[in-house]
Amino acid sequence: MKKIILALVVVVSAISCNSVKEYDKQYINDPDMKLSARSSERYETTFQVYREAASGANGGKTGGGCGCN
Amino acid sequence: MLGFSQVKDSTEVTYKKRVLESIEVDFLMSYYKQNGIHSAVSGGIGSEKLTDLTSNIVVAMPLNDDDVLTIDAGISAYTSASSSNINPFNASGASGGGGDDDRAATGPTGTPWQASSGASAQDVYASVVANYSHSSDDRTLVWNADVAFSNEYDYTSIGFGGGIAKLFNDKNSEVSFKVNAFLDQWRPIYPTELHEYASYGSGFQSNGYFTGVTILDQNGNSSTAYLPSAYKNWESTNRNSYSASFGFSQVATKKMQFSVFFDVLSQSGMLSTPYQRVYFADKANYYIGEANYIPVYATSQNQGVYQLADDIERLPGTRFKIPVGARLNYYLNERISLRSYYRYYWDDWGVTSHTASIELPVKLSDKFTIYPSYRFYTQGKAKYFAPFETHLSTEKYYTSDYDLSTFNANQYGLGIGYTDIFTNAKIWKFGLKNIDLRFSHYDRNDGLNANIVSFGIKFVEQ
Repeated sequence: MKKIILALVVVVSAISCNSVKEYDKQYINDPDMKLSARSSERYETTFQVYREAASGANGGKTGGGCGCN
Repeated sequence: MLGFSQVKDSTEVTYKKRVLESIEVDFLMSYYKQNGIHSAVSGGIGSEKLTDLTSNIVVAMPLNDDDVLTIDAGISAYTSASSSNINPFNASGASGGGGDDDRAATGPTGTPWQASSGASAQDVYASVVANYSHSSDDRTLVWNADVAFSNEYDYTSIGFGGGIAKLFNDKNSEVSFKVNAFLDQWRPIYPTELHEYASYGSGFQSNGYFTGVTILDQNGNSSTAYLPSAYKNWESTNRNSYSASFGFSQVATKKMQFSVFFDVLSQSGMLSTPYQRVYFADKANYYIGEANYIPVYATSQNQGVYQLADDIERLPGTRFKIPVGARLNYYLNERISLRSYYRYYWDDWGVTSHTASIELPVKLSDKFTIYPSYRFYTQGKAKYFAPFETHLSTEKYYTSDYDLSTFNANQYGLGIGYTDIFTNAKIWKFGLKNIDLRFSHYDRNDGLNANIVSFGIKFVEQ
């Protein structure tokens, strides 16, 4: 596990040194490239939180509401 | 891009693009339908039929160049066979004069395999969230604060939180941190038979609902021996949830970016659901209804008898969760992108899970995109879970809620999006920006399946 974390840190650090200029971000700025769930996915996330024991780490809601139906 | 090019990276700002140019309004709605055979209200067997219709309106308003206020208001109405069986007895029933009462005309009957006529068969959930965000002049620092409120018949939630995000490395890197707290309150409703026991004590069989009602033993004979002595109502009914989320995102190449998330969540208070029954293997069984269905009680052939609970689920008063997730998106070509997500989850109730999903948006034209998706989920059970009639009364914590069991789930989805960057179609002073329609089918290997249709439409002020 420690080796995996170390490898991730090295990779992330190496990539972080990269700098893509604003004028080169036409692909990155494509709406399908957003690093978040689509707004129409919010209801799917809600029922998954209800029907599954896991939640969080998806940018969604992590509390509130009983989730009991 | 033009806007960005006009912003200098130093604090000497000559022009700044508004964070949000004009008011944006999103209308969202979904229709959800599920079925299954492991109702938690009936102790792990019975119908899980449920339908839910939800809609939200999200309005984002620029207050000035830097600040945005977003209001998200929603309402959800559901019908549920499972929760209808909090009071499972048709043509009868009682829960102490509450809304579930439906006084006896004939002998009461019920079954875990069908919805009863109880008032708890449906409910309405309403919510509102207000979020305020502020961006620095150079757009490399964003902070936000939010408040949330939601209410349903037996549950109220108040939440608040805030976060901060910092962009650096020519806006190729971002770190973020946010915290949230939800202070929730149950107004618990209990299974009818346990409610009566709590109300009248050991004399409950000659008072309230049970007056004149015949209770059957396992052989179908009349009996007065039913006594759920382990049962008591919850005294403290609050539930608090606290979370801290850390995020890091990075533009890796011209065509690839990724993010990683790490959450820490802590819950305390009444984490059990007060109307989910538990039946102990070491306690005798008692029923109300038609004796001829007792031999087939745990099958869908049971059309007329309901087993009286030994207790409700009892779960620890604290829960600590750690989910770790990552997203990676890759722009394959001008038609196809790849969106992927993975999450590992651990909590101190013994649950571990893996979630992986992939989506392939395909641009059909400059206006239409289809996006097929697949999601796989697997989890190991909580240490307090056991199926129907297998817990022992000597255990401290117990539940037969299959949402906490071991299972795998597959979800298949297909969406279609329409985008009009010129917002040519107009309603009043708002132009149509995009429409999203999405369908997903969800299959759990314990017999639960669900379908959901989601629809979203966004307008921008002209």
